[in-house]
Amino acid sequence: MPPAGLDNLKHIVVLMMENRSFDHMLGGLMKKYPKINGLTGNESNPDMNGTMVPVQPNAKFQGQLDHDPDHHFPGVDLQIFGGTPPRPGRVANMQGFIKSYATQGTGINASHAIMSYFPPERLPVLTRLATEYAVFNGWFSSIPGPTICNRAFAHYGTSFGNVDMNLFYIQDPIQSIYERMVQAGHTAKIYYYDQQSSTMEIVNLLKNQPRIFGSYSQFIGDCKGNTLPEYSFIEPCYNDHPGPGGGQILASDQHPDHNVQEGERFIANTYNAIRTKQELWETTAMLVVYDEHGGIYDHVVPPACEADGKSAPADKTGTAAPFNFDRLGVRVPAILVSPYIPRGTVVPGTEDPNGRIFEHACIPGTVTNFFLKNYDQRTSREKNSNNFLAPLTDILRPDDDCWVFDV
Amino acid sequence: MEKKYKLVAKVPKTPKSAYDHGRFISSLIEHQIKHFHEIEKLLLKPGQELTDITKIKTELQASEYLKKMTALLHPQGAEKPRRVAPPRKTRKRAKAAKSKGKGKTKSRRGKRKSR
Repeated sequence: MPPAGLDNLKHIVVLMMENRSFDHMLGGLMKKYPKINGLTGNESNPDMNGTMVPVQPNAKFQGQLDHDPDHHFPGVDLQIFGGTPPRPGRVANMQGFIKSYATQGTGINASHAIMSYFPPERLPVLTRLATEYAVFNGWFSSIPGPTICNRAFAHYGTSFGNVDMNLFYIQDPIQSIYERMVQAGHTAKIYYYDQQSSTMEIVNLLKNQPRIFGSYSQFIGDCKGNTLPEYSFIEPCYNDHPGPGGGQILASDQHPDHNVQEGERFIANTYNAIRTKQELWETTAMLVVYDEHGGIYDHVVPPACEADGKSAPADKTGTAAPFNFDRLGVRVPAILVSPYIPRGTVVPGTEDPNGRIFEHACIPGTVTNFFLKNYDQRTSREKNSNNFLAPLTDILRPDDDCWVFDV
Repeated sequence: MEKKYKLVAKVPKTPKSAYDHGRFISSLIEHQIKHFHEIEKLLLKPGQELTDITKIKTELQASEYLKKMTALLHPQGAEKPRRVAPPRKTRKRAKAAKSKGKGKTKSRRGKRKSR
């Protein structure tokens, strides 16, 4: 019999943020919570002078990474392999982050900022959620590359062979998780923030399947009105723009150089929308996850993974070697929230021989397995992906044991 | 929050200085615009001109283009116009006038009835 947490589960909500690594956001938690695979403080990278630069708890909310750190395929290859060109047997060492950032004209001192991380007290929302519910030590971006191809894994379980930001078209028979759900009589939606921010799923989904979209204010309304779909995917605000009535809407995606505090507030608002509606709270699991590391330092070497049957040619990867989708990208923060999760749950990753590896194909994988059971038209990588709902238990935490944010 | 909760954590406000719609667009937004531009080409009617996306440099300009394109594909996502509450003084005056008015109406009704 499944645990009560799964038995009572009616809604899965995924909030995907932008471009921050695990160590940058959560690495500082290890001092107080030793099970979290974060930073000892001794991790370092060489700069362009060969000086070893340690990680520093001096990350800023804004203005520190105003040169958007490189996170395209060749840049991430440099970050992971320290500059060793692709060849059989090369070893990943996570020693190329400063080198990569320095190539963007930052100057030697500014290039050290890529080693910065937030002390936990600076991120009250993410810290609270990570320590109150479940944090994944081993959730990696699906590709050592940028946003669009990584987000594709969250929607389709594959990027159809793409490793870059260019548009791509769905290849039959793979369908998005939303289309699978709707065609099987279930409900699913992508909520973008507003029309000025819009979605990153334009060519395949917004154009062809507009009915699966809603705005963030509609998400809030759906939570209040008990009309939340079974599966919801939320996109933050991607740009600063004027709001209604002369207000100002800030980007909440946390993409450098957008303000990290505003992203915290957005996560808190999304959590509150579920948390403050008792029936919804007890029947919903919410995953907060980042699409990729954004070029920012993480100390864990991305592991190998099951290939998804695709290959990106050398001219697409920009590294003079093809990529067979057989290893993952850099580690990202991932937190699962539910009142059925015991406080302080840590899902072990690569640091534990019994650890489990997660990546974005786990999102359609878990949602499909939970709502649709046997569904065959997907990659074997997605089919074999780990279930991110595993931390849900039999025990419902009392209402006064779960936090609410005052935003 | 209507209900009282035992465990409440305060979330700091983002400083107003964080807002900058004149910020140059990132590679992410640049590609988002390029993807919409492909759709714009498909939707173009005779006599219409394609937006020159090379002129989009700032987040404000990007947001205007994204709004235009998203509204075409997903008009359901438009924000409903918000009712703006009048200033408190005006509300007080209106309330007072309303209650005064109610009283008058009652008395008039009463007079009418008595007629």
